[in-house]
Amino acid sequence: MEQENKLKFSLNIALVSGIFCITVALLLLLNFMQMAKNKPLESKALTSLVKRLSQEPNSDELKQEIRNFDLLARKAYFNSQWQVKTGGYLLLFGAIVFALSLRVFIDIKAKIGEPEVKDENDLTSRIMTQRWVMITGSVLIVLGLGASFASVDHLQKYDVNESLAEVKTADDQDKVEVIKVGENPQVVATDSAKNLVAADTTKADTATVAVAAVKITIPGANAIKANAPGFRGPFGNGVYFQKNTPVEWDATSGKNVIWKTPVPKKGYNSPVIWGNKVFLSGADNKSREFYCFDRSSGKVLWKQQVDKITGSPATPPKVSEDTGFAASSLITDGNRVYAMFADGDIICFDMDGNRVWARNLGVPDNHYGHASSLIMWKDKVYIQYDTNKSRKLMALNASTGLTVWETARKGKISWASPILADINGKYQLVLSTDPMVAGYNPETGKELWSVDCMSGEVGPSPASSGGLIFAVNEYAKLVAIDPSKNAKVWESDEFLAEVASPVAANGFLFVATSYGVLACYDAKSGEKYWSKEDGPGYYSSPVIVDNKVYTFDTSGKMRVFDLAKEAKIIGEGNAGEKVTTTPAFADNRMYLRTPKFLYCIGKK
Amino acid sequence: MKNWIKVTLIFSFLLFSLAGMAQQQRFPKPEFGTGYSQPTPITPEPRALALEYTDVVILLIVLSLASYFAIRKRSRKGILWLSVFTLLYFGFYRNGCICSIGSIQNVALTLFDPGYAISITTLLFFLIPLIFTLYFGRTFCAGACPLGAMQDLLIVKPLSLPEWLRTTLGIIPYLYLTLAVLFAATGTDFIICRYDPFVGIFRMDAEFHMVILGIAFILMGMFVARPYCRFLCPYGVLLNWMSRFSKWHLAITPAACIQCKLCSDSCPFDAIDFPTDEKQTKNRTWGVNRFLVYALLIPLWIFIGGFAGSKAHTWISKANPTVYLAELLISKPEVRNDLKNLDVQAFLSSGKSMETLVKEATVIRRKFYTGGWIAGGFMGLVIGMTILGQVVYRKRTDYQPHKGNCYSCGRCMSNCPVKK
Repeated sequence: MEQENKLKFSLNIALVSGIFCITVALLLLLNFMQMAKNKPLESKALTSLVKRLSQEPNSDELKQEIRNFDLLARKAYFNSQWQVKTGGYLLLFGAIVFALSLRVFIDIKAKIGEPEVKDENDLTSRIMTQRWVMITGSVLIVLGLGASFASVDHLQKYDVNESLAEVKTADDQDKVEVIKVGENPQVVATDSAKNLVAADTTKADTATVAVAAVKITIPGANAIKANAPGFRGPFGNGVYFQKNTPVEWDATSGKNVIWKTPVPKKGYNSPVIWGNKVFLSGADNKSREFYCFDRSSGKVLWKQQVDKITGSPATPPKVSEDTGFAASSLITDGNRVYAMFADGDIICFDMDGNRVWARNLGVPDNHYGHASSLIMWKDKVYIQYDTNKSRKLMALNASTGLTVWETARKGKISWASPILADINGKYQLVLSTDPMVAGYNPETGKELWSVDCMSGEVGPSPASSGGLIFAVNEYAKLVAIDPSKNAKVWESDEFLAEVASPVAANGFLFVATSYGVLACYDAKSGEKYWSKEDGPGYYSSPVIVDNKVYTFDTSGKMRVFDLAKEAKIIGEGNAGEKVTTTPAFADNRMYLRTPKFLYCIGKK
Repeated sequence: MKNWIKVTLIFSFLLFSLAGMAQQQRFPKPEFGTGYSQPTPITPEPRALALEYTDVVILLIVLSLASYFAIRKRSRKGILWLSVFTLLYFGFYRNGCICSIGSIQNVALTLFDPGYAISITTLLFFLIPLIFTLYFGRTFCAGACPLGAMQDLLIVKPLSLPEWLRTTLGIIPYLYLTLAVLFAATGTDFIICRYDPFVGIFRMDAEFHMVILGIAFILMGMFVARPYCRFLCPYGVLLNWMSRFSKWHLAITPAACIQCKLCSDSCPFDAIDFPTDEKQTKNRTWGVNRFLVYALLIPLWIFIGGFAGSKAHTWISKANPTVYLAELLISKPEVRNDLKNLDVQAFLSSGKSMETLVKEATVIRRKFYTGGWIAGGFMGLVIGMTILGQVVYRKRTDYQPHKGNCYSCGRCMSNCPVKK
């Protein structure tokens, strides 16, 4: 082709393709703007139709109309998606043609002649470059410095103040009575407990806090031993200090049943007792409740709903039937009572049923359901928050519910509960999970020791006696640990418990298995004294009181063994229904929760 | 030479067909009875490991060919068709990912995050072009980079930019590199990938602003040659350094330069160094004095730059999602009730406490503080060195490609009348 023709041809093609590109680009832009505005499933027509349907749920005509509309909307959406895609390809193709033809055109147009001498004065250009680079550098520096002045470091402003703000907003919404501590709360010490001021909240914020001097009596060890403050009694250890406890009873005939009260909602938490009050919680997938019973009469003193908690999920998580929504036992110190549920709600009431605080810790990612019970010591409430996502030991301020500290833990999810073990005269928290049993300082949360000895899905909580810690899990081992040496003292794998926690006292250690064996060991050496197989299996943890070992099997049968080197049953009882909870003792009475009732058992 | 092209094309077609069949799905798509076919996602699907290594092998082959064409064969046509192949394979077929430019971020992340392990192929994509450049010059840019190929093929009428503009804009790649490394090392974001203007074109799908940006770059690229390569590419910074020390490099003339000036107009990228004009250089002492002053100022630039960078760390760190979330929850606690804010809702239901989040955010902010010093100091060094470079005079008698800036595209070679 001649140069002239080539030139014309390429120019024409360039023009045509250029116009084509612009047209397609505009169409695409229009299409995009249209698509961005219309959200097919959120269209007003559709929503109004759906609303009408909720009023006339049986109108088939309406249903068909909605279906048709929906189909049209989806068709339109996917159609425009296709249009965009095709348009994109057309645009690309057009652009390539445009560029190539333009290239050809310019190539032909360009004449080969004397190359243009670049008459840039070298020196002036250098000086100019230096100037501009310096300007650029200065601009960048100014921007950097300016950014520091313009931006606020919010993280530094974060303080307990902010968390108090959380509490305050909860205040507005729920009309929660927050008993805040003023300058000088009157603290009365008993026994060996030291004078404690709830220090955390005093320094934080007094402006928003209404001062209400509340008499807080922090119980010492003796006061705790006189009651049944939490799961497996004082310190969560499974050992009670009452005397003359009943050794036989029968639910069906009513023998030795002083009273029984139906519990409105189900829960696998065990009774918690302080003074004259018994506390329980119950929950289902609709709601969570908190109960207080009179210890003498069994009457319901008060019943409270656990609701209106910020962050509480609208639908509770899935839990297994065996766990339920209220598997965690409560904890109390005689001033307040605390309960936790499978959806992460934790709530605090005073002894008269007034809500003190409540919060949601986040739904625990737990495939059976959260089961770790609460425990408390002095001014803090502790939660073994071991989930599939993360593991930590949390300490909340007992008065306000604010997190005092959290200690991240290694390992896997656990259903065991923390205990308070007296090691060398000081109480420490001991937790069991896969792979380790570890001890923590209750004031600071610092890990004191850790021994790898567990595996699998750990259900049994640890036990402590004589300076040793005992832990067990099915498919793992039964171990005795000396925390001061951070080492195992002995281990055995003959009888392993899956659910029931071991218990030790007076040199004896008891393990109750899910297939019905109660085994007795020498706590110091691990030498097995005896083992006895009865009944379908033990889920309820054995407890020791008054030189007796109380066991409940899953059929509801109670067997009381002598705390001795030989197996001797000294009493029997029957609840008449499945028992997986642990009994609590106060005075000479035993308190047991079954799926239906709360029993008070003792000699009338 | 023509045989080479034919062989390459046939080889690539074969590869296309084979590779298409072998693309592996990690989670196989369900079979729908109605014959419905699932739409392809925006981000590319993971590749079978064998095919990842194939990509590396192809990169090696393409780089070798590019170097061969640039230095030995001196064939502009060869480089041209090679870049077409690269555009089609690494660009449209592989959707622009994996790319050597982005691999900088993976390397930065793996150096600073103990939890991230870079894959061998990514590491190779980072290292191989650098090694080739160290020996042969920026042949990667010429023939093996899909972004470069895209821009190169669309040059219509390149304008020559004045020196001061080129040098000033040439600072941007350093800034981009610094920020990309900082953000990648702190685990904040991969900004090179996010703001790649051409990836939307390769994938025929992108967010609106990126589509506009891509089209803008293409239109710009018709008149300002290789705008991304010259004024943005962070990998180009590293290639620039490697190329300056390269053993062999593309030369305009195969033998001695006869100063015919026929090549002076041929480079669309203003990458040809002209012979120096003796008359224009000022006296020696002035030049030496200036040099000393600027050299002594460099530590000052570094310090001021580092200081400014550290000062800016609070603001820059807000780009990090953890820091952003923590600050949002602190400054606007009412956002907890906003059910549409997915990040906040995800955090609230995660069970993580504010304390932990704030702790994490503070740690990250500290990293940005250190990073800010380093990044700012580095930028200060760059500014100082650039200014210093302006007072360095090198005597030249021949027309030569600038070793750092030349992309080894070979356009100048076609203009040179000298035969071997």
